[in-house]
Amino acid sequence: MHLGRYDSCGIYQIECSFCLLFLFVEILERVWEISFLFVMLFCFCLDLLFQQYPGVSQLSSSLGGLSLQSSPQPESLRPVNLTQERNILPTAPVWAPVPNLNLDLKKLNCSPDSFRCTLTNIPQTQALLNKAKLPLGLLLHPFRDLTQLPVITSNTIVRCRSCRTYINPFVSFIDQRRWKCNLCYRVNDVPEEFMYNPLTRSYGEPHKRPEVQNSTVEFIASSDYMLRPPQPAVYLFVLDVSHNAVEAGYLTILCQSLLENLDKLPGDSRTRIGFVTFDSTIHFYNLQEGLSQPQMLIVSDIDDVFLPTPDSLLVNLYESKELIRDLLNALPNMFTNTRETHSALGPALQAAFKLMSPTGGRVSVFQTQLPSLGAGLLQSREDPNQRSSTKVVQHLGPATDFYKKLALDCSGQQTAVDLFLLSSQYSDLASLACMSKYSAGCIYYYPSFHCIHNPSQAEKLQKDLKRYLTRKIGFEAVMRIRCTKGLSMHTFHGNFFVRSTDLLSLANINPDAGFAVQLSIEESLTDTSLVCFQTALLYTSSKGERRIRVHTLCLPVVSSLADVYAGVDVQAAICLLANMAVDRSVSSSLSDARDALVNAVVDSLSAYGSTISNFQHSALIAPNSLKLFPLYVLALLKQKAFRTGTSTRLDDRVYAMCQIKSQPLVHLMKMIHPNLYRIDRLTDEGAIHVNDRVVPQPPLQKLSAEKLTREGAFLMDCGSVFYIWIGKGCENNFIEDVLGCPNFASIPQKMTHLPELDTLSSERTRSFITWLRDSRPLSPVLHVVKDESPAKTEFFQHLIEDRTEAAFSYYEFLLHIQQQICK
Amino acid sequence: MVLLTMIARVADGLPLAASMQEDEQSGRDLQQYQSQAKQLFRKLNEQSPTRCTLEAGAMTFHYIIEQGVCYLVLCEAAFPKKLAFAYLEDLHSEFDEQHGKKVPTVSRPYSFIEFDTFIQKTKKLYIDSRARRNLGSINTELQDVQRIMVANIEEVLQRGEALSGSAEIDTLNQKKYSSESPTFNKQHFLSYLG
Repeated sequence: MHLGRYDSCGIYQIECSFCLLFLFVEILERVWEISFLFVMLFCFCLDLLFQQYPGVSQLSSSLGGLSLQSSPQPESLRPVNLTQERNILPTAPVWAPVPNLNLDLKKLNCSPDSFRCTLTNIPQTQALLNKAKLPLGLLLHPFRDLTQLPVITSNTIVRCRSCRTYINPFVSFIDQRRWKCNLCYRVNDVPEEFMYNPLTRSYGEPHKRPEVQNSTVEFIASSDYMLRPPQPAVYLFVLDVSHNAVEAGYLTILCQSLLENLDKLPGDSRTRIGFVTFDSTIHFYNLQEGLSQPQMLIVSDIDDVFLPTPDSLLVNLYESKELIRDLLNALPNMFTNTRETHSALGPALQAAFKLMSPTGGRVSVFQTQLPSLGAGLLQSREDPNQRSSTKVVQHLGPATDFYKKLALDCSGQQTAVDLFLLSSQYSDLASLACMSKYSAGCIYYYPSFHCIHNPSQAEKLQKDLKRYLTRKIGFEAVMRIRCTKGLSMHTFHGNFFVRSTDLLSLANINPDAGFAVQLSIEESLTDTSLVCFQTALLYTSSKGERRIRVHTLCLPVVSSLADVYAGVDVQAAICLLANMAVDRSVSSSLSDARDALVNAVVDSLSAYGSTISNFQHSALIAPNSLKLFPLYVLALLKQKAFRTGTSTRLDDRVYAMCQIKSQPLVHLMKMIHPNLYRIDRLTDEGAIHVNDRVVPQPPLQKLSAEKLTREGAFLMDCGSVFYIWIGKGCENNFIEDVLGCPNFASIPQKMTHLPELDTLSSERTRSFITWLRDSRPLSPVLHVVKDESPAKTEFFQHLIEDRTEAAFSYYEFLLHIQQQICK
Repeated sequence: MVLLTMIARVADGLPLAASMQEDEQSGRDLQQYQSQAKQLFRKLNEQSPTRCTLEAGAMTFHYIIEQGVCYLVLCEAAFPKKLAFAYLEDLHSEFDEQHGKKVPTVSRPYSFIEFDTFIQKTKKLYIDSRARRNLGSINTELQDVQRIMVANIEEVLQRGEALSGSAEIDTLNQKKYSSESPTFNKQHFLSYLG
C-alpha cells in the first residue's frame, strides 16, 4: 500500500496523516525488534569471545529487583534448563567469579586463589541469606606459594585503633591525615612515618603506599609481636620399626629422601634435627658432635617415658651432619631381623613431646599398623562386612581422646605433629588423625603400602616426601580472620586449635593447607555497599624472622534475591558444603550428611524457582551460576568420603574426610570432580605457549562412560593421581607413538611413566601432562589403565555421571531433585 | 643456671640475638623476665652504667654495654657474679668480631638470631661446674666486680633509678617511665592476640 515515500535521508515519510501515528509506531516497532536482535547477537558474540577469559563475561548486575525475564540480565542469572541441557559441563575450566565492583577495586582485590567467598554478592540481611538457601562462608589458602609478594619493613605497622585491622586497599582516607577503617568505621590518624612513601620517595600520599596498593602483603613484625625470641627450625622424625614396618620397607625410601634433601630443609644455621624409632620400646639416638658414630639409647619403660640424656638427641644439623648421614645410611638395615610385632606409638609420641617442648617445631610420625602397646593403644574397629553398607557407617570418630589431648599439649608448646600412615590393614585413622588435626599438622596416607609389591605407592611416597621436606614452613603461628561490622564467624574448618572466638593457633603453617569458615549476618548491612574480610597470619619464618601475611577481600552488598544468585561461586559453595558434611557425618551420621547435601540442592533451586515469574514444574531450572551445583553434589555423594553401597574401607573413607577438611579449594575440586580429557587426538588448536613449549588445550569431557569411546585414549586428572585410560580399539599409532608399545595387548599392566619418544604425539602428550603437573605443588602419580583390566574400577568410580548399583546417574539425580522440589 | 641471654642495640632497644634455657621446667616461666628485659633495653642510653646487676626476686639480671650493644643475662641469684660477667665478656668479644660492624645498619628484630648457636655453646662451658678453670681466668680479668652497681629491677623500671650512673632520681624521666609502662603492657597483651 503506497502511503508515502522515502525522503533524502532514507526515512519513509508517511503522507496519509491519519495513518501517521499508526504506521510510525509500526515502523518503530520493527526497527526496535531488528536493533534488539542486533544487540542480542552482538552480546552473544561478545559472550563467546570472552568465554576464554576469566570472569569478564559478567555484566553489571545493577538491576535491583527486576524480574528475571526482562533483559539485559547478567550472564550468571541466565536460566538454564538442567533436564534438557545434555552437556552441562563447560569445555573450558570453570574460573572463580569476579566480584561485581568498580574497576579500581577489582584490580586491587585479593586473588581468588588465596581467598574466596561462596557468595560474591553478600546479602544485606540474614533473612535474605536464609531465603537463598545457600551457605555463606570463606575458603582460605593463606600461606600458598606466591611468586610475587610485597614485603613491608616499617617501624610502624598501621592498624585500626579499635578493631586492630591492618591498613588495606579498601580503607578510605579522609583529608590525607586520617583514615577510616573499613571493618569497624573508626577514624584513625595517619602516623607521620606513613606519609612518606619509600617506593616513590614522595611525601603526602599515604594512599599510594604499598600496604594500600596491595591486598596481599607481608609485614616484618617488630618484637612486640613475639612472645619469645624466634624459634629455630626443629625437625623430629618418629619412626615405626616393628616387623610390619620393615616388611613394608618405607625406611629405605625415607632415609634416601632425607639424605638427598638434608641441605634443602628450610632453616638457617640453627636448624635442629632428631630421630626416634620405636617398636615395643623406644630408641633414641645420641648425635652429639664429636662422637665417632651415632649412639642408640633404648628406653624400655614405656609406661613412664623419660629422656635418657638431656641434650644431644636434637642436634644442630650442620654440626652433626656426618653423624646424621651415618645414621640415615644405617637405619634401613638396623632392624631387618626384628621380631618385634608391637607398636608403642603413644609412648613414642610422649617422648617426642618431651623432646620438642622447650623449642617447638615439627614432628613427623611414620606408622604402619595399629598401635598395640602402651598409652593410646587401639583396637580394630572396622567390620569388613560393613564396607558396602547403605545404612549406618560407624567409627568415623576417634576411639580415645589420647591423641587429641596429646595434640593439644603439643600445640601449646608450638609443636605440630604430621602423620604418614603406611598401612596395609585397618589402623583406625579416625583416632590417629587427631594428633594432626588439633596440632595444625598434616596427614599423608598410603593404603596397602609396600615398597616392592606396590611401586606406585612407593613412588608417591618419594614424591610426597620431596615436597614435604623442602616446602616452605612457618612456626609458632596464629591466624585471625576479621570481617566488617555486622558479619560474624561461627565455625572453622581445618587443622588448628581454636584459641578464642576468632584466633586460630597453628603450631606450624604450610603452603598446602586450606581452611574454611562459616559466616552469619548478625546485623543488617544497610549502611554499607561493601564488606571486607581480612586474614592475618602471624608466623616465624624458618630463618627466624617474625612476619605477618595479610590478605584482604572486598565484596559488594546486595539487597535482592536475584543478585544473590547472580553472585554465587558454586565451587566455593560445594567445598564449604563438603566441610560441613564431614562435620555432620562425625557428629550425627553419614546418612544425615548425605541428606543434607541433597537438601542443599533441592532448597536452593526451589528458592530460585520462586523468583522466576512463570515457574514450570516440568523442568528443573537453575541460574547459570548454579548450573553445576547438582552435578557437583552428585560427585560429592559418590566421593569416597560420603558414598554408600560401594565397598569402601573405613580408613580410606576417613582419609578422604580429612582431606576435605584440610585441602585448599583448587585441590579439593579435583578430588570431587576430576577433569577428563581425550588425548589421542591432541592438536595444536587453541594451544598455549609456556616457556617455549606448546601446550595443547583439549576440551574437558563430562565424567561419563558415554564419552569413553573404545577407539580413544583419555587422561583423568584427579589432583594427586592421573589415570590414562586406553580403549581396546585405540589406534596403534597412538599406542606406538606415545606409549612405546607395538599394540594394545603389549601394554604392561602397571605402567606408570610415559617414555620420551621423538614423535609429535608423544611430545604433545608429555607437554600437556607436564603442564598439568607443574600447576600444582604435589607431583601426582600416573597410572596407565587398560580397558577391561582389573585396574579399571578405580578409574570408573570417578565417572560420576553414570549410574551404579548403588547410586543415581546424573539425569536420574536431576529427576529426583525435581521431584523433591515439587513435593 | 643461666636462663636467658639477650643482646640488643642500646640506641633503640632493637633485639639482635637471644637464647633461652632449653628444658621443660625452666623454659616456661620466663615470660615475665623477658618483658622486663625488653623494657630495660628501651630505657638504656649512653648515660647508663656499662656494667650493672639488677635483682629480680629469685633471679638476677647482669648486663654489660660495649660499643652500643647491651649483653644481658638472667641467672639464678646464687649463680656467681664473676662467671656471669665473664660469660658476657666472652659473648661480647665473639659477637663484636662477627657482627659488630653491621649492628648500626640493621632494622629487623633478631637480625643475628643465628648467634644463638654460639650462645648455647658458651653457656654450656660456664654452667658445667667441672669447668672451674674458668674461675681462674676470671680472677685475673675481673678485679673490680665488687664495684659493679647493684640495684633492684622493679625500681629501675618503675622509677628510672640507677640508670644515669648516679643515685639521683631523675624526676623528668620518672614520669615518662611510669606512664609508658601501662601502654607497653597493653601493647604486649595485644600483640599476644596477633
